[in-house]
Amino acid sequence: MTWLNSHPLTFLVFAPALLGLLLMALPQSVAKLTRLLGLLAALAVFVLSLAWLLGRPPEAGTFLTEHAPWFTLVGLPVDYALAVDGLNLWLVILTTFLVPLTMLGTWNSLKDRMGTFAALFLLLETGMLGALVAQDLFLFYLFWEAMLIPMYFMIGVWGGDERRYAANKFFLYTLSGSLLWLVALLYLAGKAGSFAPAVMAQAATALPFAVQCWLFIAFAVAFAIKVPLFPLHTWLPDAHVQAPTAGSVILAGVLLKLGGYGFIRFAIPMFPQAAMHYAKPLALLSVIAIIYGALVAMVQRDIKKLVAYSSVSHMGFVMLGLASMTVIGTQGAILQMLNHGISTGALFLLVGMLYDRAHTRMIADFGGVAVKMPIFTTFFLIVTLSSIGLPLTNGFVGEFWILNGTFLSGFGWGRAYAIIATLGVVLGAVYMLWMVKRVFWGPENKDEDSGTQHLHTDLNAREIAVMLPIVVLILWMGIHPKTFVAASEAPVTALLKDVGAPAIRPLTLPDAPAGPAAEATPEGPAPASHEVHP
Amino acid sequence: MSITPSQWAALLPLLLPALGACLIPLMALDRDQAGAKWIRGAMYLTALLAVAAGFWYLTDLWMTGAQPSFEQLHMDRLAQFAGIFVLVAAAMTILQSWDHFHQEGWVKGETLSLLLFSVTGMMLFTATSNFLVLFLGLELFSLPLYALVATVRNRAEGSEGGMKYFLTGAVASSCFLMGGVLLYGMGGSLDLTVAASAIRAQGLGSDPMVLAGAALLLLGFLFKVSAVPFHQWTPDAYESSPHPIAGFMSVATKGVAFIALLRIFPVSLAAMGAAGIRMQAALAFLAVLTLVVGNLSALVQTNVKRMLAYSSISHAGYLMLGFVAGTPAAYTGVLFYLVIYLAMNMGAFGLLTAFGLVGDRTTFEDLRGLGWKRPAMGFCAAVFMLSLAGIPPMGGFYGKYMIFKELVGTGHVGLAILGVLASLVSVYYYLHVLVALFLQAPSAEAERLASDRPAVHAPLAGATVLVAAVIVLAGGFVQAFLVDGFAHRAIVEGLGLLR
Repeated sequence: MTWLNSHPLTFLVFAPALLGLLLMALPQSVAKLTRLLGLLAALAVFVLSLAWLLGRPPEAGTFLTEHAPWFTLVGLPVDYALAVDGLNLWLVILTTFLVPLTMLGTWNSLKDRMGTFAALFLLLETGMLGALVAQDLFLFYLFWEAMLIPMYFMIGVWGGDERRYAANKFFLYTLSGSLLWLVALLYLAGKAGSFAPAVMAQAATALPFAVQCWLFIAFAVAFAIKVPLFPLHTWLPDAHVQAPTAGSVILAGVLLKLGGYGFIRFAIPMFPQAAMHYAKPLALLSVIAIIYGALVAMVQRDIKKLVAYSSVSHMGFVMLGLASMTVIGTQGAILQMLNHGISTGALFLLVGMLYDRAHTRMIADFGGVAVKMPIFTTFFLIVTLSSIGLPLTNGFVGEFWILNGTFLSGFGWGRAYAIIATLGVVLGAVYMLWMVKRVFWGPENKDEDSGTQHLHTDLNAREIAVMLPIVVLILWMGIHPKTFVAASEAPVTALLKDVGAPAIRPLTLPDAPAGPAAEATPEGPAPASHEVHP
Repeated sequence: MSITPSQWAALLPLLLPALGACLIPLMALDRDQAGAKWIRGAMYLTALLAVAAGFWYLTDLWMTGAQPSFEQLHMDRLAQFAGIFVLVAAAMTILQSWDHFHQEGWVKGETLSLLLFSVTGMMLFTATSNFLVLFLGLELFSLPLYALVATVRNRAEGSEGGMKYFLTGAVASSCFLMGGVLLYGMGGSLDLTVAASAIRAQGLGSDPMVLAGAALLLLGFLFKVSAVPFHQWTPDAYESSPHPIAGFMSVATKGVAFIALLRIFPVSLAAMGAAGIRMQAALAFLAVLTLVVGNLSALVQTNVKRMLAYSSISHAGYLMLGFVAGTPAAYTGVLFYLVIYLAMNMGAFGLLTAFGLVGDRTTFEDLRGLGWKRPAMGFCAAVFMLSLAGIPPMGGFYGKYMIFKELVGTGHVGLAILGVLASLVSVYYYLHVLVALFLQAPSAEAERLASDRPAVHAPLAGATVLVAAVIVLAGGFVQAFLVDGFAHRAIVEGLGLLR
């Protein structure tokens, strides 16, 4: 027990992988037992993470930390440094929460080799948690890459018809960014003589500005592929659509978050000047991603593909919030990452539940589902409303803060971009509600082969048990978001002070009747500022 | 001439496998050798004993830290490292070939004898900087290998591959000899280090004779590591030779050529003034060429063995990049890379035996669905392929990491970027193996054929695969221990660098 007391993070990170490897060794004949053990393990990790991370007060902003020298190769020391602080606390909990929830939500979706799937899922959890808590860039890189392996097999073995193509594309695409990033990492680590982010940031300031810019680009591209930011998003629709439900949920729920997290944790603090320099292009790409993702989502015929493109749009908001370089925008981005993890994860789960019953995901195959599955429709509607950012749900708060931060930011482009991005919110409502209308409302689809005719049962107790916590979270985050952003406020403020972002420009309304700019953000900045700066 | 105990100590590691090689043919004299199981068992046991004795003796030598020498034969740390490397590869080969040759139905003692002679030559090759001894070693390990490629005489492709390998190899050997002769003529010493310093002292670096000599000598090494454009023999030879022999060639030939180059290149070929600078430039250029050609050719292969052959060509490219960086840390990286490469490639070729894929049945089609049928082997295959691709947390990542780090550190950022792009390409064809093993179900035709064949029984090959997987994983998790304990000491205490 003494070892556990001093190494809680090591246990949290590696326990899933060790159990996963054990489960992998179990024979196929006991796959059902393996699946159950996997769920229990994931639940135990979730409970422990809650108890250890929220159960004790943070010390100097850090909830848990471990630090030990690991090895020295080619003159570069690598530290085994793990920490949970304000920036990653809720992402860690989101991960440990989503893994058991997804296992339970897709309990009967897989027909064969479900034991191996559960084992891979646990290995993936270790990769994600490790990348989230690693405070040494080498360690981060290891987890970042290792994460691809289980995901590759999850997509490739249990995916749809095009699974091999999607899995290969996912693997190679992501790897291409991170390999170039590795060269940048080696370059900077060689200059700094260490992989500690603080030391490397120090060394970076001594380099010429052009070199800093190249290094920032290398970091940014690796993270932007994961986010994914337009135009590096092309792997995402394939991976999402082909992945089994559980894979999609985790891909949307956690893996994409690591890209945004990488920006907040490493790219922006390590190269503040370069980040400021590239804030405008980043914001521009984000705005394009928001509008483009929404427009492409609108024309999709497959519900899952629609949700996948909505991810591009939603993650565009995250990147816009980060590029605004304001406290409120960054806080909004952090919250939006959690929102997206919950809402889009839930959407993928719901689509999976529908697919398990109807064996189709085509919008045209449905119609009048509300009559057949009232409970399912209720949940789907709540999640949809959260996804389009209805006030009182989580989506509203995140998007609002991001737009607010962008609008108020000291950058010249802030207001124009905020206005355009607001259009994305409208488009979001359009594609989601239109899809809901065609699938759930309207007359029942009487066609013999249609999906609606295959819906015989509404959600069972297990599926309701999976959806209830999500609904609770959606409302909680919408009504009292402070729970989820209080911890990150201090680190974000400190980070942006280092970056030296321009001060925010408060909007003073002229006495004349409100102009078009004021109409574009009818809510006004005041209430949200109170939320973030209590 | 009487030989002192210390000199015996230097000779013994070579004598043990050579003794085994001489004993085995005596047993194989029995005309019934293929029929009598106890004769076959005794031959394999003898071979294993010879290898094990050499291994035991060398590890003992390593532990005591002694570096004995006999005339031009220097059993220093680097040579001991090379010896252990070759003996481990040989042991794995012998174990795998027991299974493979039984599957092929061609169990002959001469195979083992040739293998052990080759092992002796390899140890000689890495333990000297004297040109004549070097050439002796080169021929002693090459000639048996030519024969080994064609050892299964009832396969026509075997003779074809062996003949190709022999003809090109003979040309390369004569180039090597010519290069050495020219350097001896210009430098006035058979010891290449002494000759290089004489050439440097006399300012003969830009003399065409020196240039030609150094280039020809380098060509000899590059042929053995199968660097482009001296690589054409590789896919044919690997494809036609028995799987364990292909594995042994890919690992040991490349390994000892690089280790010998490690001894020769920094102090001799790269240290001849103007000629040395050109040799370094040539090596960098050929490394790039090797990476590009090796990786791109591997992409389009349909046969796993040919893919592995091109993959081994591309790995030569990464290792050559280590020489381009040219720092002691990079050389350490090269040695570490070789250790992991030994495990990865012996494991990958061993898998073919463990899966029971005999003869031409080594296309990706033949691998389909096998990963699920043999989960333990499938797991090992994933480890090997991901490690070959350089994905953490496998050992292969750390080999590339050390080499790329030194490349970036010495200002070769462009080469490092090219290197990582090459390894990105390589990921695709390594994933192809995993796609076949796990993501594709076997075709109905293959299922029907498989049910007609007897069940595959290859426990020894399976065991070597497991051991290799453990080494690869160890390279990923206790890498610093392996580097500091073995590779680093071989460089520091063997080559005298960093002292």
